[in-house]
Amino acid sequence: MVVGDPKIARLLEHPAIWRGRSVAQRSGLSTGFAALDEHLPDRGWPRAGLIEILVGRFGSGELALLMPALAALTRSATARWCVWVAPPLVPFAPALASCGVVLDRVALVGGARRQDARFRGDPGMWAFEQTLGSGACDAVLGWVRQPKPRDIRRLQLAAERGRTLGVLFRPRRAAREASAAMLRLSIEPLAAGVRVTLIKGRSAHRGAFDLTWPGS
Amino acid sequence: MRPRTAELPYTGTTPAPTGSAPATAPLHGVGRATYAAVRARELWAGLHLSGFASVSELEQLAIRAQRFTPRVSLVPPDGLLLELAGSLHLFGGLEGLRRELTGECQPLQVRPVLAFAPTPLAALTAARAGQPLIILDPAQLTGQLAPLPLSALRWPEETRARLARAGVRTIGAVLRLPRAGFARRFGVAQLASLDTLTGRTPDVRADFHAPVRFRRRHELDCELSDHGRLLAALAPLFDALGTFLIGHQCGVMQLECRFVHRNAPPTDCALSLAAPCADGQQLGALFGERLNSVPLPEPVRALELWADELLPQRSSCRALWQPGEQGGEAREESEGLIDRLRARLGREAVHGLAQRPEHRPENAWIATRPPAAAQRRVLANRAADGVDETLPTRPLWLLPAPQLLVAHKGLPHRHGPLRLLSEPERIETGWWDGGEVARDYYTAIDRHGVRLWVFREREQPHGWFLHGVFG
Repeated sequence: MVVGDPKIARLLEHPAIWRGRSVAQRSGLSTGFAALDEHLPDRGWPRAGLIEILVGRFGSGELALLMPALAALTRSATARWCVWVAPPLVPFAPALASCGVVLDRVALVGGARRQDARFRGDPGMWAFEQTLGSGACDAVLGWVRQPKPRDIRRLQLAAERGRTLGVLFRPRRAAREASAAMLRLSIEPLAAGVRVTLIKGRSAHRGAFDLTWPGS
Repeated sequence: MRPRTAELPYTGTTPAPTGSAPATAPLHGVGRATYAAVRARELWAGLHLSGFASVSELEQLAIRAQRFTPRVSLVPPDGLLLELAGSLHLFGGLEGLRRELTGECQPLQVRPVLAFAPTPLAALTAARAGQPLIILDPAQLTGQLAPLPLSALRWPEETRARLARAGVRTIGAVLRLPRAGFARRFGVAQLASLDTLTGRTPDVRADFHAPVRFRRRHELDCELSDHGRLLAALAPLFDALGTFLIGHQCGVMQLECRFVHRNAPPTDCALSLAAPCADGQQLGALFGERLNSVPLPEPVRALELWADELLPQRSSCRALWQPGEQGGEAREESEGLIDRLRARLGREAVHGLAQRPEHRPENAWIATRPPAAAQRRVLANRAADGVDETLPTRPLWLLPAPQLLVAHKGLPHRHGPLRLLSEPERIETGWWDGGEVARDYYTAIDRHGVRLWVFREREQPHGWFLHGVFG
């Protein structure tokens, strides 16, 4: 189907035409960025499944992209946890709170307090999979060093089992590898926002587009 | 005489008015009747241990004393009561019992005073007064107690002083006072204690039960060093633990295991849980994770498993909804997750985050205990509160310690020159607690477009530091 064709788009606006997508529209978790929502398959982040965010450099805006969704998740009445597995630095509590994240729903596993070489290898992966599959979390953010395709498949299955949004952060060079994640996007920093490139997504619109941060 | 018989038919059919009439009234009558029957047969031994303060030693003595009678009760800090009517003929009468009980006290290095009386308070009072009385006949009770000093009753100092001013110094004298006037002037509680002393009202003492603990040892047929086989050898112990816990309706939060070696000192391995658990298999699985991180110096010859502190386990019902569904909660899953992560990664590996009201960024956050299990929030919609737009911008990532940056011509460099984006924000505080900082914070952007939080020290040598990444 040629999505961009204006004639077809006008035809589809007819109220008598029912499309399966319109049911799915509500199933996603709004990202907080209207432009991004439009490009994602369920008009938002998946509520259960693994996504990959690929960055050229740490700190390119990958976390800021997730903040509105994390804030919404931790604020819901039946909020489960939001767990950070092996974060490379300390997530700064005042900044999280000013983004609207409820801190008593946030848990950290390992990470900057524990400078343990043993931990970042296999146990980080183990902790990520356990946390995703436990059903105790709404979202799990993971920084795992060089996961193998088989590991990513396991993470994806665990996320579906636990009904959890898993976010795996990887360097941009991993874009060449195959991955079982539901959604893969690559981001680059701009002056006041990010450029998002969708690499993989079930029935997602491909291509790159720019987002601007709300405050700027 | 007519009204009583007329009222009778109603007593069975009308429901008792709830709330107004005390529900204990009929029970009280029953208690009285049985008490009257029992009282004739009871014989209490009161044991007073002078200069004895430790409750744990008192409990030890109570455990030993349980070989004489199951009805032992503690009167902390220095008293012990035993009901001995049924045990007299088993231990050679009163003299035999006195000898045995004194013998039990010897390892504790205390000299007990032992008195026998038909009511517990009378036995204890006589012992506290230092009089090794033997009162077998309830009719002689008041007469024998009469010469004892009032101090043995341990009434409040103020009451005793007022009685002394009135010339009342012995138990006999206080028993001769009119009841109504005594209650009015010295309190109902004191009158009640006199009644229990003389046996007018029952004195119900809670029996002491030794704390229950689990301890099992298993000698291995051959020495094992493989973790998998050790776990297999531990499985029967965990099965026994599970059966034991279910039987006692208890759970454990702290579990310890000892591996005994041939030459090396034994290896101890403790497991702590986030919530009481009574499932032997689950405990075994958690212990397996913990065991992976324990180095064993030598093969293992014997295993020992013990749980000292048992906690009452309340069974809960399962939710209709799965966690993550609308209305689903994740209480059990959360506790299970914390236990699993801690068992493998160590206790400090899981923590929560909290803010602190501090201007210094490194002190503005604190690691807390892991958040409590997810529970339905009463404030369902908190979307309105919390977000304060007036706060200065803060980075999402903080470096554990500020990192010194290279400076060229007064500007910081990191993979090339950094471009400063914002006006400086000055943080100058902490002069009172030794952690003084005086810094100008800037938002900077590096060659790759990554936004950084850097500061310049206001003191000499005006160094540039990287302190956060906006992420």
